[in-house]
Amino acid sequence: MTSTVTPAAATASASAGAGAPRRRRRPRGTWLLLLAPVLAFDAVLFLTPLGKLVAASTHDHAYQRVLKDPLVSRSLLNTFEISALSTLATVVLGYLLAVVIWRRGPLARVILFALVLLPFWTGVLVKNFAWAVLLQDNGLVNTALQGLGVTDAPLALLHDRFAVVLGMVHYLLPYAVFPIFAALAAIDDRLELAARSLGAGEASIFRRIILPLTVPGVSAAGLLVFIISTGFFITPVVLGGPGDMMIANQIDFYARQLTDFAGASALALLLTVIVSVLVAIYQRILRAGGEYEAG
Amino acid sequence: MTTTTTQQTSASAPHEERRGAIELRGVRKMYGNIAAVDDLDLSVEPGEFVTLLGPSGSGKTTTMMMVAGFEELTSGTVLIDGEPVDRLPPKDRNLGVVFQSYALFPHMSAAENVGFPLRMRGVQRGERRGRAEEALARVGLAGLGDRRPRQMSGGQQQRVALARALVFNPAALLLDEPMAALDKRLREQMQDEVKTLQQSLGISVLFVTHDQDEAMSMSDRIVVMRDGRIVQEGAPEDVYAHPRTDWVANFLGDTNLLPCTVLERKDGEAVVDLGAWGVGRVRDRGAKGDAYAVSIRPEHLRFVDADRCENRGSGRVLSSTGLGATIRHRLHVGGQDVVMRELGTGSRATGGLDSEVTVGWSPEEAQLLVLEP
Repeated sequence: MTSTVTPAAATASASAGAGAPRRRRRPRGTWLLLLAPVLAFDAVLFLTPLGKLVAASTHDHAYQRVLKDPLVSRSLLNTFEISALSTLATVVLGYLLAVVIWRRGPLARVILFALVLLPFWTGVLVKNFAWAVLLQDNGLVNTALQGLGVTDAPLALLHDRFAVVLGMVHYLLPYAVFPIFAALAAIDDRLELAARSLGAGEASIFRRIILPLTVPGVSAAGLLVFIISTGFFITPVVLGGPGDMMIANQIDFYARQLTDFAGASALALLLTVIVSVLVAIYQRILRAGGEYEAG
Repeated sequence: MTTTTTQQTSASAPHEERRGAIELRGVRKMYGNIAAVDDLDLSVEPGEFVTLLGPSGSGKTTTMMMVAGFEELTSGTVLIDGEPVDRLPPKDRNLGVVFQSYALFPHMSAAENVGFPLRMRGVQRGERRGRAEEALARVGLAGLGDRRPRQMSGGQQQRVALARALVFNPAALLLDEPMAALDKRLREQMQDEVKTLQQSLGISVLFVTHDQDEAMSMSDRIVVMRDGRIVQEGAPEDVYAHPRTDWVANFLGDTNLLPCTVLERKDGEAVVDLGAWGVGRVRDRGAKGDAYAVSIRPEHLRFVDADRCENRGSGRVLSSTGLGATIRHRLHVGGQDVVMRELGTGSRATGGLDSEVTVGWSPEEAQLLVLEP
C-alpha cells in the first residue's frame, strides 16, 4: 500500500526500537508453542485431507483420463472466461463505488459501507435465487420491460452466461470495494491540491495522480476477486445454462455422478496448480510495474 | 531572538515585467459562526516577500488557501495583478504553491514531478525534460531527476517541491510552512537559499509560518495575525522594535513588560511612571488602549552605575546562565522578575548570585505598548 511515513509514526517506531533490547527474552521455542494449536488444526483438517487428495489423484491414470475429457477442457475454459469477465466487471464497478464512497462525508460513508456490506453478509444462495426470481420469464425485469413496451415477449435472461456473471459480480463486489477504497483513502489530500495548483483539471488529476496511486489496490482487488471466481459452484447451477458449467461443477460431476474420486481429485489439484501459476505470474508483473512502492 | 536581519528593500532585482501583485480586500471566511479570517486587507507588491506570521488558528493558512483558490471566500475579494480571481479555479490562477508536506507525487520521479505543471500546459516531452532539469539545477539538484521522492532526504524533497512550483513561471509563490519538517540547521540553510532564489528571480512570495526567526530572517514585510485579524504589520526590524501590544512583543521574541501609567505623550515619546522603576522616557507610536506597559528586550537591558543612567531600576541577581555567545541573567528588579541578555562569556557587572545590581536602558530601546485585555 502507498503509505507515507509520518514523523509521528517514525518516532513511534524509533522509540519502539530503542525499547526492544530491554524486553525480557523468552525461552527459545515459545513461539512454536503458541503456534501449536493452529499447526495442529491445519495438520488434521487441511494437510491430511490434502495429502489424501494428492494420493487419490495418482490412481487409475486419473490425470490422463481427465485431460482427455472434452467436458473438462470445456469447463476449464468456461471457468477462466467467466472468472475473467466477472473480475473485470467487479473491479470496474468496485472502483466506481469506492470513489463515490471516498468522495462523501463521514456519515454518508458509513451508510454506503453498510449498503456494500449488506449483500456481503447475505448467503450466496439467497442472492442467486433472488436474481433467478428477478430474471425469470414472468419476473420483475421482464414484466417491467413489457409493461413499458420495450419488448413484446419475455426475454430469456436466465440460464445463460450473462446471468452467471451478474450473480457473481453481485457476490464479489465487496471484495473489490474494500482494497480499492483503502488505496484511495491512503492518498494524501494535499496531492490533489498540489496538482490543482500546478494546472491540473479533474480529468488529469484522476488519470495522472489518483489512478496510478490506486494501481496496487486495484491489483489486489483483481487478484482476490479472480481467485474467488474460479471456485464458484452454486451460481452456475442456479443462474447458468448447460453451457456455463465451471470447474467446480465438473469436480462435483466426477465425484457424485461418476463416483470417480481419483478424477475429481486430479481436477481439484489441476485447478489449484493453474491458479497458483497464474497468481505467481500476475504478482511478477505487478512487482515490475509498481516498483515505486518498495523504494 | 537572533537579530541578524538581512536588510532588503522591497524593490529587488529589476525584472522585465512587474507582476505578481496580490491584493486582498475585506476578505472574510466563516466556518459556521466562527470567523477564521475576519475583514482582512493585505497586499503583496511585485517582488515583495511578505510573511503571514501567527500561532496556529490565527487564520494565516486559511488566508493563503483563499489566495490559492482552495478555500472560498465568505466575502471580500482577492486580486492578482489587479484582476479579481474569485471565480478562477486554482489551476487557472498561475500561482506556485509549496505545502508543508511538499505533496510530491510519489509515483513520479523528481523530474516528472517538476515536469508535471509543464505537461498540464501542453509542453512537449523533450522540452519538458530540459526545463525540469534546468529547474532542478537551479535548486541544487542537478542530476537527481531520476530519483523518486522516497529516495530523497527531506531537504531534497523540499527543493523538488520548490522547483515544481517555480518551473512554470508563476505570478507569485505561496509557501505554507515549508520548513516546518526540517531540522534546525537545514532549515536555516533553506531559509537562505529560498531568500536568495526569490531575490534572483524577483518573484513575489506570500509565506506562512509560525516561526518568528524564520519570519524575521526572510521577510521584506511581516504581517502578524491573531484570531483571523492582522494585529500589526511592517518591516521585520520595525515590528520587533515597535510592537503595538504585549501579545506582539511576546510572540516576536522575548521581552520584559513593565506595567506603567502614561504621564505625557508627545512627538513619538512618552513619559511614563513605572512604579518601583521610577519615571522614565520611552518611545511611543501612539497606540491607544486601556492599559499600558513598557517593553524592553532582554538584550537592551544593561548593568549601569546607579547615578549615570536616566532610566534604571535596582535589584538583585536570581540566576546567571552562560549560553555560549551570551549570558542570560534572571533579575529581580523593582518588585518584578526580568530577563537580561548580556553579550560575552564572562559577566562584568555582577558579583554573583543575590548581588545588588542596577540595570538601565536607553529611551530609544524601550517601547510603550498597549496591554491587551
